[in-house]
Formats: sequence, structure tokens, C-alpha cells
Amino acid sequence: MKKLLPLVAAAAVLAGCGKKAETTAGAAPAPGKPVVALVVKTLNHPFFIDMQRGAEEAAKAAGVELIVQAAEREIDVERQMQIIENLIQRKVNALVVAPSGSREIVPVVVKANQAGIPVLVVDTRVDAPALQAAGGKTATFIGSDNYEGGKLAGEFMLQKMGGQARIAILEGIPGHETGDQRLRGFRDALKGSPGMVVVASQPANWERDQGYNVFQNILQAHPDVNAMFAANDLMALGALEAIAAAGKTGKITVIGFDALEEARAAVKKGTMAGTVAQDPAQMGRVGVEWAARVLKGETPPADIAVPIQFVK
Amino acid sequence: MKLPPVIARHARQFGTFAVFVVLCAVISVLTPHFFTVTNLLNVAQQTVINALIAVGLTYVIISGGIDLSVGSILAFAGVVMAHALRLGWPVPLAILAGVGVGAGCGLVNGLLISYGRLPPFIATLGMMSVARGGALLATDGRPVSGFGESFRWLATGEIAGVPVPVLVMVLVYAAAHLVLQRTKFGRYTYAIGGNEEASLLSGVPVRLYKTGIYVVGGGLAALGAVLLTARLNSAQPIAGINYELDAIAATVIGGTSLMGGQGSVIGTLIGALIMGVLRNGLNLLGVSSFIQQVVIGVVIIAAVLLDTFFKQSKR
Repeated sequence: MKKLLPLVAAAAVLAGCGKKAETTAGAAPAPGKPVVALVVKTLNHPFFIDMQRGAEEAAKAAGVELIVQAAEREIDVERQMQIIENLIQRKVNALVVAPSGSREIVPVVVKANQAGIPVLVVDTRVDAPALQAAGGKTATFIGSDNYEGGKLAGEFMLQKMGGQARIAILEGIPGHETGDQRLRGFRDALKGSPGMVVVASQPANWERDQGYNVFQNILQAHPDVNAMFAANDLMALGALEAIAAAGKTGKITVIGFDALEEARAAVKKGTMAGTVAQDPAQMGRVGVEWAARVLKGETPPADIAVPIQFVK
Repeated sequence: MKLPPVIARHARQFGTFAVFVVLCAVISVLTPHFFTVTNLLNVAQQTVINALIAVGLTYVIISGGIDLSVGSILAFAGVVMAHALRLGWPVPLAILAGVGVGAGCGLVNGLLISYGRLPPFIATLGMMSVARGGALLATDGRPVSGFGESFRWLATGEIAGVPVPVLVMVLVYAAAHLVLQRTKFGRYTYAIGGNEEASLLSGVPVRLYKTGIYVVGGGLAALGAVLLTARLNSAQPIAGINYELDAIAATVIGGTSLMGGQGSVIGTLIGALIMGVLRNGLNLLGVSSFIQQVVIGVVIIAAVLLDTFFKQSKR
């Protein structure tokens, strides 16, 4: 019998985990209370944690049960698909989804449609032609436009530099929609201003330490860089350290994206020129609010804009 | 205590299987949504990609090697195939191109390891970066998407109620099991992993077979890419990041020794299913994604501990 102990122990561990989950995450919904699932890209980024907070507030106010799930890695489109498939199995009443991939999400949206579960999209748009081709439909899109945000950043830089600048860009992970749109917006804002020269555009994969290293390398190659746009604040904050290490603090105009707490502080201090603020908490709030209303039979507008602003 | 003979004979897989059964039982008790036909098919489909990568990796690990490049190879093969499909190639030809790229990357791995005498860790670490770069170069960093229905059938189709990907997985595992147990290729795989020097001295063409093992590993990762691309209707150059770690986990949960010379593909299948069931169950239960990671880690360790225990009791 003694030898069976590890088996029993393993079962106990598993059962323990399950129980704990039930109490903390509310696996057993109260009867009659509709269940809304919010699936974000990851929960290890402040952006989505804010979104979760907004969603929780709205769920309490609307009297719905909320489940929040995400893949470990922001870019893991397959894992996100699996999570949504599993939530469909669990028969949640409505899905609020921030797609990790705008095309890759389409097959699972179709599955939700087939199960009669309404899908509300937040933050990142589903690719419209792909959705149409697959015969899927979403209830609404709630978010702000990354392209517009990038454009705001570009316009601000243009004005601040008086039309003359040597610009470096820190990109996110190549092939990532969000980053691509921000960069496209930024570049479009600079079109028609020949004095605004982009001398380097390199990926730093959304990460702070890479923002530091990549920008340091860029400074080696292009010591004349005097303006920088990073597709997110983490990379911008990393680059700030590289700028400080090079003794160039204040000589390079740095613009980021996301308006993280730390970035806002840097803007106040003057080490950063500005950052683009989205309102993820509002996205989560509106997403869950509308999910509850859709379940009551209301029809949302196809597009619900969440304001974007430039913090300077 | 003596184990019953049936169990003793299959002791290597029994520990893993026991974990699997206990896991399913526990989740079934905790949620009514788990033990339904649709959900079990759902779990099977979610397991397919990891299972395909892991079966190739099982060969590699039994032979005493490791392959860190399978996730990148998956991405590279996927985007090449996707390009071919977008260019209007017939589906079988495009799939062949993708699998060919995967097998080609595996061939380079194998040659570097066998003939270049590089440690597998180093050779495949290099390939991990090269294949990822290749995938990004081939696509300019953008996903390639939108394929015809005949290709999508690989993900959405069913034969006699069984989803096509699950069928592919079952066939591949049956074939891999037979090859490993019944052919020279399989015996040599075990022999090389058990004692490379002795194999060489007893006339096994070690370099040739080792190279072949990595070709199989790359080819199966590419097959995973085919099904993943059909499933997502898109091939991403950033697909498959860290998938090698999931596949290694499935393999070791399944009782394959990282030291080489021991293991089975059936064990790996159970290992992959354990990971699939665990993730599915934790989603059904609405467990926070942070707790999920802890639980998955605990189960990996528990499964390997149990496996070690059963192996010892066999002696």
C-alpha cells in the first residue's frame, strides 16, 4: 500500500487545485446568472490587467458571472483558440474576445456562432474579409484604432521637431497586427515631410530589455538620431536607459505607446516627450456591459469607439 | 507488494496512464462539461499539434539527442506551404513542399550532428534561430492566410464522425509505434541512444541513422504545421514559439528518458493527452491562467515521479 502513496498524493494535489479554482474563479455559476467570458491576449501585461479590472466592475454592476482567461503568451494564437473552444464547451452565454490574431481568430468565431454564443470583439479587429469568407459574424467591435494612435504620435513628432528629424523606430514582434498598424499610422503622418527621415526601424519584440539593447545598437550606427518612436512603452522605457547610458538624456525626443504608469511618470519628468493612451479598462467595461445587454436581446452598434488620446 | 504481471509488463506506460485516468476522473467530477463526446473530440483536436511534434521528438530523444528547432521548423514549413497554396499549387504538392522544407531542416540538423560532430543541443539551437529567421524572411513578418476549402478540410473535415486531424494523429502514431518496435530503424534508434559506441562497434551505421532520425523529427514538425495552418486558416511566421518545450514535456511525461535508449511513442501520446486534458479541464473550470501554469508544472513533475516509481517497482 505504501507504494501507492505517490498516486494518492498526486490525486490529492489535483483535487486540491480543482477545488481552489472553484472557489476563487467561481467555476459553478449561480443558477440563472448568465456567464460572460472575457478572453484577452495575455494577463501578464498591464494593458490587459486594466481591461480585466474594467470588465470585473461592469460584471458586478450588470449582475453577470465573469470568467477571464488568456494564453500565457500574447502571440499564441492557437492557445487562444483552444481556450475559446473550451469555453464554448462550457456553454458560456457570451464571449468578449481580444483576438491575438485578427485572421486566426475567425474559425473559432464561426464555432461560437454555431453554438449560438454571441461574440463581442475588443481591442483588436477581426479581419473583415476573412470573417465574411468564413460566414462568421461578431456582435460588435469595441476599441480604439491603433492606426489612429500611431498617426497621433507621428503628427506630434512632426510638430515638435519642426519638420526636421533623424528618426529611429522600435518595432514590436514582426508580423504582429497591433504593431504593424501603429507603425503604419506613424509613417503615414510623416508622409509629405521630407525633412523627417527614418534612419532605422528595428524590432525589439515589445520587450524592455530588448528596447535597451536595440536602441543602444542603433545609437552606435546612427549617432545623429534625435527622435524615436517605440510601438509600445516598454521598449521606449528600455531605450530611455540606453539614452541615459549614452549621456544623451533630453537630446532625443522619445514617444511611446500605451501610456503605462511608468511612461506617464517619464513624460511628467520630461525624459519622454509623449505617449499614446488607450483606455483598456473602458474597453473591458463596455465589452461586458454590452455582452449583458446582448443577452437581454439588445443589438449593439457595429462599432463602439473608445477614445484615444495623446499624453504629453 | 508485487505488481500484477500485466501491469508489470507495461510498467513503463502504466504510471503515465494512471495519471491520465486520475486526471480525467478528477476533472469529470469537478465539471459536467468535461466528459461529453464533443468535448473529448475537442481535447483530441487540441492535442494533435503537440502530439505530432512530440512523436518525432520521441525518436530524437530515444536516440540520445534533443531537437530545439521543431517549433521554428513548424513556422518555416507552414509559411512555405502557405505561399505555395497562395500561388495556386495543388494542395498535395503544397503540403509536400512544406513537409519537404521541414525534412530538409531536419537533414541539416542531422548532418551537423552526425558528420559535423556538433552536440544536438547546439546544432538545433542554431537551427531554431535560422528556421525562425527563414520564416520571417519568407513572409516579411506577416501572416499568410486565406486558403481554399479543400485545404481547410484537413482541419474541418470528418470521416465517420472523427475529425481529420485526430485521424491523422492516430495513423501517425500507429505507424511510428510499428516502426519503432518492429523495424531496423526502430531498433537502431534504441541502440544508438542506449550506447552509441557499442552500436558503432557492432556495425550499426550510426551516422546515417542518426541523420535519418532528425529528418523524421523535422518532417513531423512540418506535418504539424500543415494541420495548424489548416486549423487557423493562416500560417504565421511567429507560430510555434516554445512548442519544442511542450513537446519535450509530453515526451518525458510519457516516460521517455532524456538520457536516451528508453521510451515509447504510446507513452508520448498519453503525455500529450495529459497536457491537453489538463489545459482543457482548467479552462472548463475557469481557473486563472496563472494558477494553470503552476498546476501544469506540478503535473509534469508528478507524472515523471510516478513513472520513476513504477519503473523501480518493476525491478
